[in-house]
Amino acid sequence: MSAPHDSHDLCSDHGGENPTIWHLPVPQSLKDEWLSLETRRHFLGRSGKALAWAGLASIVGRGASSARAASHPSDGAALAAQVPHFAPKAKRAIYLFMAGAPSQLETWDYKPGLQSLFNTDLPESVRGGQVLTGMTASQARLPVAPSFYKFAQHGRAGHWVSELYPWTAKIADHLTVIKSLHTEAINHEPAILQLTTGNMFPGKPSLGSWLSYGLGAVNDELPTFVVLTSKMPVTRNVQALSNRLWASGFLSPEYAAVALRSGGDPVLHLSNPPGVNSDLRRAMIDGVNDVNRQLYETVGDPETNARIAQYELAFRMQTSVPELTDFSNEPASTWDLYGPKAKEPGTFAYNCLMARRLAERGVRFTQVFLRSWDNHNLLPENIKTLCEDSDRPTYGLITDLKRRGLLDDTLVIWGGEFGRTVYSQGTLKPNDYGRDHHPRCFSMWMAGAGMKPGLSYGQTDDFSYNIVKDPVHIRDLHATILHQFGLDHERLTYKFQGLDQKLTGVLPAKVITDLLA
Amino acid sequence: MLKFIPLFFVVALLPVPAAPAPTSIDYTHDIRPILAENCFYCHGQDATKRKAKLRLDTREGQLGNKVVVPGQPSESELIARILSTEEDEQMPPADSHRVLTTAQKDTLRQWVAEGAPFTPHWTFSAPTRRNPPSVHTENWVKNPIDRFVLARLETEQLTPSPEASRATLIRRVSLDLTGLPPTPAELADFLADKKPDAYERLVDRLLASPHYGERMALPWLDAARYADSNGFQQDGDTFQWIWRDWVVRALNANQPFDQFSIEQLAGDLLPNPSIDQRIATAFNRNHLLNGEGGAIPEEQRHVTLFDRVDTTATNWLGLTVACAQCHDHKFDPITQRDYYSLLAAFNNVPETGLVGGSSYKVRTAAPVLDLATPEHKAQLAAVEARLAALKSDELLVKLRVDWEAKIATDETFPVPALRATAARPAKERPELENGDLRRYFFKHGLAQVHPELARLLADLARLKVDDYPRVMVMEDSKPRDTFILDRGNYETPLNKVSFATPEFLPPLPADAPRNRLGLARWLMSPAQPLTARVIVNRHWQTFFGLGLVKTSEDFGVQSDAPVHQALLDWLAVEYRDGGWNTKALHRLIVTSATYRQSSRVTPALLERDPENRLYARGARIRLPAMMIRDQALAVSGLLVDRLGGKPVYPYQPADIWDSLAITKERDFTYPQSTGEDLYRRSLYTFWRRTVAPSNMFDASARNTCKVRTAITSTPLHALTTLNDPTYIEAARALAARTLRAAFFRDTRLAYAFRLVLARDPDGAEKKLLRTSLEKQLARFSADPIAAQAFLTVGAIPRDPTLAPAEHAAYTAVCLAILNLDETLTKS
Repeated sequence: MSAPHDSHDLCSDHGGENPTIWHLPVPQSLKDEWLSLETRRHFLGRSGKALAWAGLASIVGRGASSARAASHPSDGAALAAQVPHFAPKAKRAIYLFMAGAPSQLETWDYKPGLQSLFNTDLPESVRGGQVLTGMTASQARLPVAPSFYKFAQHGRAGHWVSELYPWTAKIADHLTVIKSLHTEAINHEPAILQLTTGNMFPGKPSLGSWLSYGLGAVNDELPTFVVLTSKMPVTRNVQALSNRLWASGFLSPEYAAVALRSGGDPVLHLSNPPGVNSDLRRAMIDGVNDVNRQLYETVGDPETNARIAQYELAFRMQTSVPELTDFSNEPASTWDLYGPKAKEPGTFAYNCLMARRLAERGVRFTQVFLRSWDNHNLLPENIKTLCEDSDRPTYGLITDLKRRGLLDDTLVIWGGEFGRTVYSQGTLKPNDYGRDHHPRCFSMWMAGAGMKPGLSYGQTDDFSYNIVKDPVHIRDLHATILHQFGLDHERLTYKFQGLDQKLTGVLPAKVITDLLA
Repeated sequence: MLKFIPLFFVVALLPVPAAPAPTSIDYTHDIRPILAENCFYCHGQDATKRKAKLRLDTREGQLGNKVVVPGQPSESELIARILSTEEDEQMPPADSHRVLTTAQKDTLRQWVAEGAPFTPHWTFSAPTRRNPPSVHTENWVKNPIDRFVLARLETEQLTPSPEASRATLIRRVSLDLTGLPPTPAELADFLADKKPDAYERLVDRLLASPHYGERMALPWLDAARYADSNGFQQDGDTFQWIWRDWVVRALNANQPFDQFSIEQLAGDLLPNPSIDQRIATAFNRNHLLNGEGGAIPEEQRHVTLFDRVDTTATNWLGLTVACAQCHDHKFDPITQRDYYSLLAAFNNVPETGLVGGSSYKVRTAAPVLDLATPEHKAQLAAVEARLAALKSDELLVKLRVDWEAKIATDETFPVPALRATAARPAKERPELENGDLRRYFFKHGLAQVHPELARLLADLARLKVDDYPRVMVMEDSKPRDTFILDRGNYETPLNKVSFATPEFLPPLPADAPRNRLGLARWLMSPAQPLTARVIVNRHWQTFFGLGLVKTSEDFGVQSDAPVHQALLDWLAVEYRDGGWNTKALHRLIVTSATYRQSSRVTPALLERDPENRLYARGARIRLPAMMIRDQALAVSGLLVDRLGGKPVYPYQPADIWDSLAITKERDFTYPQSTGEDLYRRSLYTFWRRTVAPSNMFDASARNTCKVRTAITSTPLHALTTLNDPTYIEAARALAARTLRAAFFRDTRLAYAFRLVLARDPDGAEKKLLRTSLEKQLARFSADPIAAQAFLTVGAIPRDPTLAPAEHAAYTAVCLAILNLDETLTKS
């Protein structure tokens, strides 16, 4: 199961059913109108280069979308997807990425039958000759490790929720739990890449980049795609993260995420240097732009106008970002929801609150990473710490979005990159065991934005080893997420290396309509 | 509603550049793209997907069964089908989601009516020598490039732009050839040089500069996915910079490109390879390397092999072959067998797929070339001898046991948890706690109880691993069988294959070695149609922003149809037959009248040719981030222009590395350089693959082969050049240089402006600069603390003889000059 056999979707032209939307039936009058707008645009900004964030356009006096559409005049296909293909349910998404792969057995996939099988050997018929990782391949036995933690049913829907999630249990009725995710990747890097970019090999655009490319910006003073990495409550079994998880691949670099930092400047180089206040900076930018305007008069290159807009927007970001990161205007009830740790920059709780603030301000896609779920050993202890750290903020986020009316069009996604084995890695005691990587099944949940609340979808066998009902591949998950944004994963394409590339790649992918309300 | 209508309608309606209506149909430009986009999926070269046994990508296929009857559209099944409105007749079928426009249908019909001329895809047959066209305005022509360009402009009834000013020219060509702006002396010399060949001599001087190799290495490093670390979990550092230095040397020496290529692909297989020829092969080892604990060796080794095949194909052939990992390519004539036959050339390296040396800073994977000096080895031997003499193994055990006993009862020991662990008998300690205790002992305890041993062990780690120079290279000492892999899965091999080049291209000579060397020589052979075009096109891209073929990564049937195909072919033949002389090619390009045009543009021309593919004007392109930084260092006088050596660590905000990495196994604190290493060229900045340098925007990620980088303008870039200490310090140094060089305000402002832009400010600009300076001066004079604070940024000490308010105000103005559009742009 470990081979990278679905991972080369350079050739996404498969299926022959993914034209760009070049040929969408659009009334001639609109084409004419566009044409006149476009002709005007040529005088204002040629822009063989991408102009980021729709806001630039309004500054230089054009329609926002014309600048976006103009990003790649040279690549027709690059413009393929500036419209939703159909009415969207989601306007934005918050993805709580549990890097390192949380065990499904202690969280969402309740297997009461395992208790009586403690320390028995995993039947070979269940394992089915699967390749194991380098970490347990040499282990003499594969003894079954039942969950140390108890489960109970919650809410009207009756989701089985682990006792590790007392807060999340309260919002069970909002959640659509999927227990039948699966992947081919058995190691972290390829697996995380597949979740974040649809492909195990580096170089492909991330989900957030595809959304930015497809839908553009809502707020011109903030990026469309933001990444937040969280402080770890425990630092055993940590996963490295890298920029390529939120990079734009072959899409224009403007679609890559901006990583908001919790220490120093939230956005790199946001602060003025010492001794330079906002007035002084304003004067400096005025000086730059005055000379640039003069240059434009003589040289006539619209790129110069784009530069002027770029510097204006940079100045505005210097105000809008501090406003974003200033939590002082949050009502007291916020802290009741997210818990006191939300006041400490960089914690998962802080990042959940930040994610809500970003969602409010129109950021399309916020991906919050929480690491160190890779519990090869000391799993009961470590997972408890991680759940304690993340449970209440998760509850807080969903509840907060709900009370602000944002949950209806904000898609929240929770999950890691694969599952963990039912058998123990290393020592096995009832309260002390580890679990190795397991790609054949894992659990995720989604909430809001047209997902069917309270649904439990998919089923695994008694060992949470194989899927017995309704498998959901990562490609299907991606297709479903795009669908909620009004995007057809077959039609959200970008021509690169002669091929129509897409997030879901080569192999068949489908929207799981059963998950949708 | 309007604001969501995409631009592509415009592209569809207004071909760019707007050419006169075609009088006759050209297969390559007009027909093949339509067929490829809409038909080849089911009627192309992939036999497994082929419907109705029909191929439309070959002449035989088109002419068979009256699919196309030349001259007779009404007899042609193709035309009948595309015009049909019957659901079961219509092509493309509805379920393909592909629709032909009326214009496309008309074009296909016209093509058949004109006799359905067919030409094989132009890049798949070798370019031949053709004479440059004749032109009316002979006196504009400086070399043959200009004939191609001018002939087209004359057809289009356009005229070239006048030559750029001398100042513009020297800045343009200096940046293009060396990545650095001209110095004031160079500028003065050139302006004063009244001989007719002044420009040509300037070019020759720049081509001979050692900085030429540094500049020209940049695109090559992107293509070679060069970085200074492995790029996965633990992200160990490497010594691949030794290869980077080789590249700069080879480019400076103007090594012929065929040799340059052959050595990088297969230098180890040349007879009696030199050290340099073996270092060159590190090109093939610049890929990512997975150090994850759970990594499955064979899986990772195949990831590496795929990367090598893809990189080789993209870099030299301009082909996307990755599709053929799983099945025959849909559009290009590359079969799955071709893919694995190519892969066989890379499959004999004694590598495991994994990387060793966990917990060390540097992690390399065999095979490596040992480059330690005799002195280094002697030092290492001395350390090892001393450790042996101390019986270090036994000594360590004893020291540790004693230390544990001591801290177990030491009330003042700073880590109570460890003290508790130490208090338990060794056998009863949980493994993880024992590990923490052991780590603490080695990190802190040992140095206290036995300083010499601690120092020796640190020396050992340094001399034996972290500082032991070794570069990962190629070696064919482990022959393996190669198989076609079912859907690219190494667990399911199909038929065995041996090394071969793609069947649709000219064959390997009968006497060629059947290995990487054979492949390398074949890539550079004159009959092979792609390499010369692909490479020449990339050189053109370096100077003009876009290649003559815009899709510089793809020369397959889906590639961009060039406006100037004849020029590209002429250059390719010139380059290939002229001995792959890269400096000569660069000289040819930059001495052309085409290159020397002014980049000023009128709205009419802009609308006619927005991408400047007709070359009625000079190129105007924002500089790459690396060159923007180098320029700031150069004009401020901070640049340390020493060539080569270990990577350096210039300014970067804290925590960028450690926030992403695993910090337990090694220290990921950014080891910021001091002194001269803060001011080296950006080429030498340490490139951590997981987290690229924070101020290198729009750069290749250096993960996979990249031959075209985008240029965008986001506010983040502006924030970087306004607030990154690199630029503030450069502005401060530039201001100091200015204040010392001139006395009067206006001459000072002009001096700084001229240092950066190689020209004097005009009247209006002078006025703006003056106004800006006066404003800043007033503010800083009123707030001396702010002035002092502003002057503290950066490591270079402030010149105390300069008045702070004035220095601060000039720094602000210099920072503004460094941020001007003209500064950030090659004009």
